[in-house]
Amino acid sequence: MSGEGPRRVFRLEVGAKGVERDVDAEIEFHLAMRTRKLIANGMSPDQARQQALRRFGDLPKVRDQCLTIDQGRERAMKHADRFTNLRLDIGYAVRTLWQRRGFTTVLLLILALGIGANTATFTVIDALLLRTLPVPHSEELVSIGDPSRTGAVSEGTPGGDIASFPVYADVRDQNHVLSGVYASGRTGRLDAIIDRASSGGSAGDEPEHPRGRLVSGNFFAVLEVPAYLGRTFAADEDKVPGGDPVVVISHDYWQRRFGGERSAIGRSISLAGSPFTIVGITPPGFSGDIVGQATEVWIPLMMQPVIMPHRPWLTDRATSWLLLMGRLTPGKALAEARAALTTIIRRSLIDNASQTDPTGGERALRNRPVQVEPGAKGFSYYRRSYAQGLLTLMAAVALVLLVACGNVANLMLARAAARAREISVRMALGAGRLRLLQQLLTESVLIALGGGALGLLVAYWGSSALLRIASGGSRPIPLDVHLDGRILAFTAGLSLVTAVLFGLVPALLATRVDLATALRAQGRGVAGATSRPGRLGLGKMLVVAQVALSLLLLVGTGMLVRSTQRLEQADVGVARDQLLVASVDAERSGYAGLRLAALMRDLTERVRNVPGVASVSLSENGLFSGTESGTTIQVEGFTARTEADSVVAYDDVGPDYFHAVGAHLLRGRDFEARDNESGPKVAVLNETMARFFFPKGNPVGHHVSADSSTFEIVGVVADIQEHSVREEPVRRIYFPAVQLKQIPGGFKLEIRTTSDPARLSAPVRRALAAADPTLAILSVDPLSDLIRDSISQDRLVAQVVTFFGTLALVLAAVGLYGVMAYATVRNTSEFGLRMALGAEPGDVAFLVLKEALLLTAGGVLLGTPIALVVTRMLRSQLFGIGTLDLPSIGIAIVVLATSAAIAGYLPARRASRVAPLDALRAD
Amino acid sequence: MDDLDVSLTRGTLDLLLLKALSWGPRHGYAVVDWIEQATGAALIVGEGTLYPALHRLERHGLVEADWGLSENNRHAKYYHLSAAGHRRLQGGTTSWHQFVESAGRALRATSPEPA
Repeated sequence: MSGEGPRRVFRLEVGAKGVERDVDAEIEFHLAMRTRKLIANGMSPDQARQQALRRFGDLPKVRDQCLTIDQGRERAMKHADRFTNLRLDIGYAVRTLWQRRGFTTVLLLILALGIGANTATFTVIDALLLRTLPVPHSEELVSIGDPSRTGAVSEGTPGGDIASFPVYADVRDQNHVLSGVYASGRTGRLDAIIDRASSGGSAGDEPEHPRGRLVSGNFFAVLEVPAYLGRTFAADEDKVPGGDPVVVISHDYWQRRFGGERSAIGRSISLAGSPFTIVGITPPGFSGDIVGQATEVWIPLMMQPVIMPHRPWLTDRATSWLLLMGRLTPGKALAEARAALTTIIRRSLIDNASQTDPTGGERALRNRPVQVEPGAKGFSYYRRSYAQGLLTLMAAVALVLLVACGNVANLMLARAAARAREISVRMALGAGRLRLLQQLLTESVLIALGGGALGLLVAYWGSSALLRIASGGSRPIPLDVHLDGRILAFTAGLSLVTAVLFGLVPALLATRVDLATALRAQGRGVAGATSRPGRLGLGKMLVVAQVALSLLLLVGTGMLVRSTQRLEQADVGVARDQLLVASVDAERSGYAGLRLAALMRDLTERVRNVPGVASVSLSENGLFSGTESGTTIQVEGFTARTEADSVVAYDDVGPDYFHAVGAHLLRGRDFEARDNESGPKVAVLNETMARFFFPKGNPVGHHVSADSSTFEIVGVVADIQEHSVREEPVRRIYFPAVQLKQIPGGFKLEIRTTSDPARLSAPVRRALAAADPTLAILSVDPLSDLIRDSISQDRLVAQVVTFFGTLALVLAAVGLYGVMAYATVRNTSEFGLRMALGAEPGDVAFLVLKEALLLTAGGVLLGTPIALVVTRMLRSQLFGIGTLDLPSIGIAIVVLATSAAIAGYLPARRASRVAPLDALRAD
Repeated sequence: MDDLDVSLTRGTLDLLLLKALSWGPRHGYAVVDWIEQATGAALIVGEGTLYPALHRLERHGLVEADWGLSENNRHAKYYHLSAAGHRRLQGGTTSWHQFVESAGRALRATSPEPA
């Protein structure tokens, strides 16, 4: 006890040992005082001590009781202390941050951008890749088919990736592993008319196009989704083709289109010209089983012939268009379900294989196997195509956040340096290092949480902006990107990690103060920091790291941008900038056979007479339409070694097709008007097909058999990129459309124009409508737009990464500027001295600039090898450039060096203007 | 003494300890000494029994303690009343007097019927 001086027992914790010591000391003091008094009353010392002990009573028991009480008090104090400390720290941190509002605002903005970008990207990733359907026990759901083929229709030999209605019926009736299984298929574009009376006078007769989905009657029962209003489909509905003209609409559509009126139930809505009754509304938040394409109208599957007249999809085994989803029977495992369902689908396909191609079923199953997967996340067309791009974005925004952390850490370092004296005083007064660390980290956490909260705002705006850009501006991908608990948790977690990233090292350094030095340096807050590789050294290291990270991001940006440029300018084998593509559906208006062939000729003729049109032709699939046909052929004089050898893609086209689209004929001739229904059957091969089947000779004059006919090859055309800029050319054969047994009822007109094709869009539309006003004109678009749409995702990723790359560059430049400016201020006296000794302003400026450029060079040296390795991960997204893309690296370095020069120039100029006397006096 | 033991409840002892400290900080010995003097040594069974009571008061925030130098230059734990302790002493004294008065009235009664 002795020698410690007065100590306030009630405030400071004394520890377990201290408690015992204090109790013993107190008792001993009592005994000593009593003994002394007894001696003074005349007792001998020994007697007095004995007497004192006796009067005290049961000493061990008293000691025990006191100890128990004090230990309890100690524990309570510890808890209270911790809480008080935290409260004090938060109060202190808020005060300090408030005092330096400008500083705090800058930190908050940087962090809000960094965290917000991450949250925005995560929100989209969560909505598209991670979240499960909002239905009970989604983990029991099993999807059957390729979940990305949400809008697909496959004509011809069926495979396991998508089901025809008869296959669905077999699965539904024969399986014992699913308690229920529904089918869901495309409606195509729905023409909906909500009549004036029922929509309160706001709508006209102009049809609108809600996103519809044909689903079997048990759809809502299997998903266990109840009606929000009205009812879902009844058990006895959806039994008879065309029997139940009812629809269920989504809450969202109801709100938007019917203003949330309860009377919407029972109203009539016309779909494809037939009346349907709205019977129910789904609960808010439920947007169907297709993630990324919220369904607005659910139509019973049996109404398909009404929605799409003349298409016997409910009976045709060759039309596959359904995705299936089931709920596992309790106790059944996914593997068991997979085995059972695969067997049923195999049998269904093989037992019903077409007579003309008996092995086709086996082959199709080999190429497109049955897919039975967990269905909790629903189907999604976008999921697969956007996953890679989104993960690239996530990496980019994570890099931005790291660079931002570097900046904040640097600012905190400068702050800590300025506070070194305050901190050393506090430590000298006995504040523990842990205590101070806790206090500094409290500040970091507060800033980070503040930044995170602002980041949520940025993310709220950013994620919808991201979706808007992603969908090419017109109609955003309808993803549900609301903020929920997961997003909040992600942001909070990210903020805390961020706080540790930017706060811990500065705080550790700040509390590693050499007390004597710091206190001695009167008034100069940064004392003691220069002599060792501490503060400023770390600041510079941070800048080097920021430059390295920015370089990585800039190189990636450069590669993506250059790759996108290559995609945009790539040769697709046709005159891409002079073509207008009109898509028509004649089948809907009942055209078939000879009438259809006549219509084709009529339309072609009418469009050819539109001023500005150079030539016109037509084709079934056309260019960049997303539809494709395949067939099996036999080539004269060629023996197929495998079945795959005889599979080719085909398109059926009109006269003058290759001339009209601007393709290059390599041999022979184009299709002509004489290649009609009555003329000899002819075909044209693409270069890849010609080379495969006729490696040496000239195919012209040879024959191929397909569609149970024989065609004479009359020409060879250079490969055309029919559907995507990236695709490898496939073997492709072209037939005159009118020479096929079944002339396609939906086709595209390819219109070569003499000027900007977009300007002819309206006249062409008018010319088509003049032929038959009932004709469904699905779209009229310049080919260049279609091509741009096909690479929209590449463009999106490149644009967004460019944005973030620029952001990182700016942050790194600001960081560099900050460090240089700070160093310049600190070295004012040195510069003054140099100039007093005769240095020119230019020399001093050069000193500063040199250092800035050296730091940048350090970052580039560090970043280049990292960039070389990391950008390899972009390989699958690149087109036309290698993974070692020197121009991208060069550009990134030049951009960085320029930014560094600008960031260094301002402090350099200030350094060069130091007045020697002022500088020396300032010391 | 046995009779007095009965009434020497913990509450009474607490009250006496608070009273002992009402003139300013004292160490435990002085508190004990004062109570012995003031009650004519009648109340004390063992001096030690007062210490757990003092510590309990400290635990409950009625008294606070500092280590300081005693009159003979030894380190001693000095107790003083906290604000709460002052309030408790005032309130407790009033209640004590009321209790003693009513108990006394009852004990002085001469007939089973209330007066």
